[in-house]
Amino acid sequence: MLLSLKWLREFVPFEGSAQELGDRLTMLGLELEELAHPYEAISSIVVGHIITCEQHPDSDHMHVCTVDAGQGELLTIVCGAPNVAQGQKVPVALVGTTMPGGLQIKKAKLRGVPSFGMICSERELGLTEDHSGIMVLPAESPVGARLVDVLDLDTEVLEIGITPNRADCLSVLGLARETALAFNLPLSLPSLPLVECGADIAGSVPLTIADPELCWLYSGRIIENVHVQPSPMRVRHRLHAVGVRPISNIVDVTNYILMELGQPLHSFDLAKLAGGITVAPAVEGEKFITLDEQERVLHASDLTIRDQRGAVALAGVMGGLATSMTAESTTVFLESALFKPAIIRKTSRRLGLSSESSYRFERGVDQLGCLRSLDRAAALMAAWSGGSVRKGVCKVEPKPFVAPVIPFRPARANALLGVELTEEFSQQTFAALGCPVQAEGDTWQVTAPSWRYDLSREADLIEEVGRVHGLDTIAPVLPQLQRSLDDAALPESPFSFWMRVKRWGKGLGLNEAVNYSFVGHKDLDHLHLPQEGRISIMNPLSAEQDALRTALAPGLLQNLRTNIAQGAAGLRLFELAHVFTADASSDTTAKETSIIGFLLYGSRYDSAWPQQEADVDYTDLKGIVEHLLAFLHIGGMQCQLASEPHPYLLPCVNVLVGGQPVGVMGRVRPDMADAFHARKDVWLAELNLDMLCTLHRAASVHFSALPVFPPVRRDITVIAPATLSVQAVLDYVTALKLPLLEKINLIDLFEPEQAEERNITFRLIFRHAERTLKDAEVDKVREKIAAALVKDLPVHL
Amino acid sequence: MDLLNELESLVPELERGIGQAFSLAELEELRVTFLGRKGRLAQIMTRLPSLSPEERPAVGQKANAIKNSLTEIFDARKAALEAEKEAAQLARFDASLPGRAPWGGSLHPTTLVQEEICGIFQKLGYDIAVGPEVENDYYNFEALNMPPEHPARDMQDTLYITEKVLMRTHTSPMQVRTMLARKPPLAVVVPGKVYRRDSDLTHTPMFHQVEGLMVGENVSFAHLRGTLTAFLRGVFGAKTQVRFRPSFFPFTEPSAEVDISCCMCGGKGHHSNGEPCRVCKTTGWVEILGCGMIDPAVFEAVGYDPKTISGFAFGLGMERIAMLKYGIGDLRMFFENDVRFLSQFV
Ligand SMILES: [Zn+2]
Repeated sequence: MLLSLKWLREFVPFEGSAQELGDRLTMLGLELEELAHPYEAISSIVVGHIITCEQHPDSDHMHVCTVDAGQGELLTIVCGAPNVAQGQKVPVALVGTTMPGGLQIKKAKLRGVPSFGMICSERELGLTEDHSGIMVLPAESPVGARLVDVLDLDTEVLEIGITPNRADCLSVLGLARETALAFNLPLSLPSLPLVECGADIAGSVPLTIADPELCWLYSGRIIENVHVQPSPMRVRHRLHAVGVRPISNIVDVTNYILMELGQPLHSFDLAKLAGGITVAPAVEGEKFITLDEQERVLHASDLTIRDQRGAVALAGVMGGLATSMTAESTTVFLESALFKPAIIRKTSRRLGLSSESSYRFERGVDQLGCLRSLDRAAALMAAWSGGSVRKGVCKVEPKPFVAPVIPFRPARANALLGVELTEEFSQQTFAALGCPVQAEGDTWQVTAPSWRYDLSREADLIEEVGRVHGLDTIAPVLPQLQRSLDDAALPESPFSFWMRVKRWGKGLGLNEAVNYSFVGHKDLDHLHLPQEGRISIMNPLSAEQDALRTALAPGLLQNLRTNIAQGAAGLRLFELAHVFTADASSDTTAKETSIIGFLLYGSRYDSAWPQQEADVDYTDLKGIVEHLLAFLHIGGMQCQLASEPHPYLLPCVNVLVGGQPVGVMGRVRPDMADAFHARKDVWLAELNLDMLCTLHRAASVHFSALPVFPPVRRDITVIAPATLSVQAVLDYVTALKLPLLEKINLIDLFEPEQAEERNITFRLIFRHAERTLKDAEVDKVREKIAAALVKDLPVHL
Repeated sequence: MDLLNELESLVPELERGIGQAFSLAELEELRVTFLGRKGRLAQIMTRLPSLSPEERPAVGQKANAIKNSLTEIFDARKAALEAEKEAAQLARFDASLPGRAPWGGSLHPTTLVQEEICGIFQKLGYDIAVGPEVENDYYNFEALNMPPEHPARDMQDTLYITEKVLMRTHTSPMQVRTMLARKPPLAVVVPGKVYRRDSDLTHTPMFHQVEGLMVGENVSFAHLRGTLTAFLRGVFGAKTQVRFRPSFFPFTEPSAEVDISCCMCGGKGHHSNGEPCRVCKTTGWVEILGCGMIDPAVFEAVGYDPKTISGFAFGLGMERIAMLKYGIGDLRMFFENDVRFLSQFV
């Protein structure tokens, strides 16, 4: 809401500065967002008096003027405007002035004649679009005075943020009420006597309201013999200052009252209305052209103002083109009404048509101010258009305003605010807010004023006394928390579990990424992720964000592209986030699964020396996954090469715990990785963190006693076909269940390129719990293992 | 007495030899030559039996003295050579070599801020809860005193899944879910992702919030002020000024917005060099969170009796806190995941 300080002062005698006012209103909940000076650019323009005005010797359209601009000496100014004449008072831009358009006024020679300034048009001053000639000021304007003072322009405008509950403050009047409250000043409405003439119009425009719930009050006046023309200059400038485009005296009146009193009005050309007015829902599918020349298809949920032929206005939102005032119109039917907020909002939102009018109706308009606004508007319209107001008002009010009477317990207010307010203070506050109070006993009866839609319950009143007392002056107290005996034994919150895993990932040396939860369907398509079960955004910001992610891969791969583009040689990202799939059994229709994702790419180490240069590979990824499971005390991890093709991983390895799949890891298919500008293998893993959390909670740590006797080590190398997995050998040996064999580890893998066989070296670790082993008995077991391997597996020694 | 002379001559001979020995290996050679089992001293001593019994003690004593002298000379030289060697090694030691760097990990700044904030509230005795990001209109709006067609819905541009299902626009639906699931007294903070249909220089369609609420008997606005003042000083330092401005949220009443003194300019509005502060736009205050006393309509929606129960709630954006705390100027960097950005938050 743009509030002109000068306009405000027509209602309340506030003498302080705009900043002071803004600061005080801010602490009352009406936040000063910006202090604007709309006419700052022309603040140095002064009034000049044209003493002489001669034809330019070398130009047939320019004049050479001598101007008294109060500078002590007369200025010679060359002027090209057709309307310049001796004796005029005009706005003068002196040398050194910068015009609103950026033009610098300098000494100049125009066709040989020196010129010391510029006489300005309204457009050059940024006041209006009028550039037909120079602006001519009233003859009584004092020479040398500032133009902004002479024109009485609204030079200080406060932009106040109005919260949705304070519709009453969407007007000068409303903010004047708050100003009067804040500074303890009297409030008065500018008076403008309404002169009525002619026969009473009662009944001449029959009014019908189809549903009293939708339209609580409808009233109108008739103004005759109007001349549609521009409004008085001062009105135009005032509207301009508060962000409203001046259009014509008739439209400007409705906008002026809207800004001043907060009542949206509409002017119909009475000659174009056929018969009486009905307020009723639209006919489903009805076509209607609004003032902005758009054809709208209406629904039965839209409330319309109708004449005999059909809709003439979208109630509270926008008028119709066919019945609007034009330059030739002479008789106005001026509407001042009140509609149910929700229905206005529905139509406005459905059509994407938010007007100053609908904005106020949605939030609530003062029902008791409806007729006052109508009268003031009619008086202004007559004054600005030369018309006359016909006697009487057409009015129906099927739902008159009933002031809510709200109980208020001073003790409850004190308890809720945590402060001791005196009864006097509360009484004074209610009085200043316009709320009559019956302050008797423990429960007072407080009547809400018609302009305060937000006051209906005790809590609303407590807010008022708190706000006026000052929320910032209540002494802070740190409360004591009451906890139950069981609270300490509650399970770890999912947030804390995530936090521990994130700290693990960071400690391991991974960088945590956070990506949007939405991606484009095409991103999911690119990775061949199934379309089934996806959740779409109904109103996405763009096609890049029209689906909820079903995997973390799209985001992580996008991050890969970003980092490759900035020259990263390697990348180690992890992310913890939800993925989303449709699930009819969920109360939100979505199943949200927690996933931890890893992406490894390129150089294994950040710095070259003394690390050997190498690229990350499968073992890096698997090492991380194993480390995570170990960190979570989850044992029994198995890796199985996936037999079914995975959408975007090849190879894809299923990670299982106790036979239950908990995730996948593998290399992103190179053709898909290409799209993200990967030049090397991209390794990616995604694990179900919900399942890991469950397994983690079930796991426990058990101490194993340390062995007393030393181990004996023997190595064994087998030559195996390259297709035989290391795990197969390890599993085989483990399955032999040899009592002395404690452990078998892979210690070397020699894999000549292109060869069909490879050498696998294992270390066998033997130990007896109760004695030191002898070499001979260990050698015997090693031989047994060797023989068994050769016998049962396709290997040789 | 040749033997005595021979013994005596060993010392100067060794001293000469030692002057030529520049390494520990050469020194060891000399030691073997002079003091070894078959060395010079030992050879001289093999002739001891040829002496008369009267001469033997004197020669024996002499031999011992010479042996000690020789040993001393060796030891001294050995110590000197070892010291030289150590000095030479030390001179070659390059302390400036880069470390064998382990991988350097990092946490996202929003994670760091969430952890810090939740940590402070945990210290104060709050539980941490999380909830779904896809939410029902009921929990996100209706139960929070925002029925359909309520103008306050304009405050939050919403991404919808269906007419009745949406991406939660704030963490506040967890107020409702928490109160439905538990009984007062309760004190909970809820961190998480939230979504708005908004994308420009200062808005991203996804961001992070932390919601907090305390419900019980006799919970007052003074408690809210105490809690948030303590919390904000915990995050931004003990000297932080906190200001409560009346505001509006449909689910709290009274509602307030909380400003803190600008940490960029010290609340002065201008930097010490006179430059206007861009963070607080010269006001000296920075808006940091919204809060209020839980609206009776919300209590009614969860079946609490607003006559006996009161409570407060607050919510704040993590990106904003992170931007202020770490001096990050560009919101969009949060979701680009450029490691040059990420790796700064270790
Ligand atoms: Zn600042």
